[in-house]
This record gives sequence, C-alpha cells and structure tokens, in this order.
Amino acid sequence: MPNSKLANPEKSPPNNSEMSNGESNDVSNETLLGLWLDDDLNEKQRQEFEQRCISDLSFSQQVETANVLNMQANSYQDSAVPNWDRAASFTQTEKPKWWQWQGLPSLSLAMSVFAVVMVLTGVNIKVKDGAMAVSLSNQTNMQEIDRLVASKLAEYTNHQQQVLNEYALSMQQQQLDTSTQLTEYLLTASRQERREDFAELIKYVNEQRSDDQNFYARQLNKLQQDIYATPEPLSVGNIK
Amino acid sequence: MFEKSDEQLIVKALQGNKKAWLDLLKRYEKQIYNYGMRMTGKNEDALDLMQEVFISVFRNLASFRSDGSFRSWLFRIAHFRCIEFYRRKRPMQGLEDEPELVCANPSVDENLSTAQENKQLIVAMQQLPLAQKSVVELKFFGQFTFEEIAHQMGTSVNTAKSRLYVALDKLKILMEVEYA
Repeated sequence: MPNSKLANPEKSPPNNSEMSNGESNDVSNETLLGLWLDDDLNEKQRQEFEQRCISDLSFSQQVETANVLNMQANSYQDSAVPNWDRAASFTQTEKPKWWQWQGLPSLSLAMSVFAVVMVLTGVNIKVKDGAMAVSLSNQTNMQEIDRLVASKLAEYTNHQQQVLNEYALSMQQQQLDTSTQLTEYLLTASRQERREDFAELIKYVNEQRSDDQNFYARQLNKLQQDIYATPEPLSVGNIK
Repeated sequence: MFEKSDEQLIVKALQGNKKAWLDLLKRYEKQIYNYGMRMTGKNEDALDLMQEVFISVFRNLASFRSDGSFRSWLFRIAHFRCIEFYRRKRPMQGLEDEPELVCANPSVDENLSTAQENKQLIVAMQQLPLAQKSVVELKFFGQFTFEEIAHQMGTSVNTAKSRLYVALDKLKILMEVEYA
C-alpha cells in the first residue's frame, strides 16, 4: 500500500543523516522532493522543505501533485486478473525417468569399451581385505600364474609324498603279514612233514617189528615144528 | 497454516514443483497485471506483458539471489520486459520520447476496463514517456525507494529523481485537464 505519510509532509519525521552538513540550501528541488518522498528528510532538510513549500510556488505545486498522486494510488482499485494459462509459464521440462537418461547409451558404450579393454589387456582386479588392486601388466599375471602353479605343484607333491608314504607303509605291513603267514605256513608244513615222517618211521618201525615178530614167530614155529618133528632129545647141539 | 516465504517457494519451484511456482505466481500476478495496465493502458497488453514477465521470471529464477527481495527483482524484470514490449509496439519511439497524443490514439480509453478513477489516472500516465512513467509507477504504486528504483531501471538515483520531477510537472497539467 502506498505510504500515507506523503499526504502530510509537515509531519514527516526526520530520520536521515544524509546531507546534514548545513548545506541544505544547496539541495535541489528534485533532490529535496525525492528525499521527502522517500521519507528520508533530516531536521534541516525538513525545515528547508517547509520553507520552499511556502516560498517556491512551483515546488509547492510539485508537492501537491505528488500528494494527489499518492492519494490516487491509495484509492486505486486493483483490477482482477483475468483467467490465463498460468501453467504455461512453468516452462521447465518434466524430469526424465532414469531409464530415459540421455547419458545412458553413452554410459553403455563406455562400459562395453571398458569391458573389451579389460579382456584384451588382461586387467586383473583383486579385492583382498577391503583393498582393491587393479593390474594391467601381463607380466604380473604370468608371475601370478607361476606362483599359483608352484603352489599347486608343491601341494600336489606333498599330497603324492603322503600317498607314497601311506603306500609304502601299507606295502611294508603287507610284506610283514605275508612273511608272517609264510613263516607260519613253513613251520606248520615242516611240523606236518616231520609228523608224517615220524609217523612213517614209526609205521616202518612197527612194520619192521611186526615183520620181525612174524619172522621170529615163524622161526619159533619152525623151531617148534622142528622140535616136535624130531624126537631126538633136545640138545644144545641140535639147535641151529 | 504458515504461508511459505518467497524464497521457499522459489527453491521448490526450482526443484520442479509446479504448485510452488503457481503459488508464487498468484502471489504477485495482480500487482504485475495492474502494473502492466498502468504502463500499457490496455487490458490485453497488460495480460500479454504479465505473461511475458512471468515466463521470463521463471527462466531466470535460478539466477535470483536471495540477498534482495524477490518483489524488487520481479519488478526489475517487469521493467525490462515492459521496455521490450514498447520497443516491439513502437520501435521508432525512444524511452524518453513523448508518446503520441491520446486523442490520436483513442484505443487507450476504449480498451481499458477498470474503475473510472483508475482510468483517468491511467490515461494521464499514458501521455508520459516510458522512463518517466516507470518512475511514477514504481514510486507511487510500487512504493520503492529511489535507490531501489534506480537499481531496477539501471540509472542513478539523481536521474530517477529528475524523471519523477519532470513527470510530476506534466501530470499536474494533465490531471488539471482531466479533472477540469
């Protein structure tokens, strides 16, 4: 709303420190009127203003016109705004969706190129204990392979050594078992043979004894027969 | 409900919030429309000017610095849009040049739909050069200080005061004729 103080210039409070050097007489009508309209007159300027309103007809007419204008501005009835397309002034384009982002094809291409470069150059990305290392050198890669091969070979050697040891132990145990079994077999077989040999010997001896007994029996029988067949007195010379 | 400040609405509008922009627009459209009426003297021109002003304001919204008032910034843009508007309508006429006489251009009165008291003042203002009319408009209706007016118009304070002084001289005569 327009400033109502303008309608009564004499009551305008002095609140300006500007041009307070006692040279208000040098202030032009335009400046003085401007200061009054801005409600920015100091005491001396206000006195000068009032003095000019009395003594300077053209200046007082200017002040009067300003007052009239101010009153008209105060009583001015604002016209209603007709309907208009307010939304048309919102010229910002709608934010594109993330998949409609202009940079997506470029990003896609860049990622593809990056992937190709990675494949061709043999980039090696290692993430270990929260640290990431990217290597581009094949030499490093070969060293890594050598290290891995050596590690695997050592592991394989250890494994083979272990298997070999187990195999050797197993063979040793088996050999021991076999030797034991052979010994037992030999002992058993030897015992059996000796038993059989003794049995044969005993049988032979028994047969010999039996033969001997038969022989002696027959001799005795013969003797008996001879004794009984010849009635000659038995003498020692008759015995053959 | 607490009314959001201009700065809050501007931030939201810059983020793409259409409602915030419309709220801001509705807050000032009446002032700008009536500014346009007093500056152009026609309802249609005032409406066109208002639309141009708000489109321009929206486009430059990101450059607004909150160290000054939005209203002052808005009227600064309105002033430059108004100058461009005049240059399009009357390309041969300078800002300090006297406009054509009202009697030779009766469209001012015919095309103005407003209260009778307003109409007389507007008709009188139409006979001032644009530069003087702007100072009268910003001083009495916009209630800006001369420093603000000078900043908005890109001139010195003394120039603004001189223009008003001359404008008051003319308006005194014009209004005496109008009210006679």
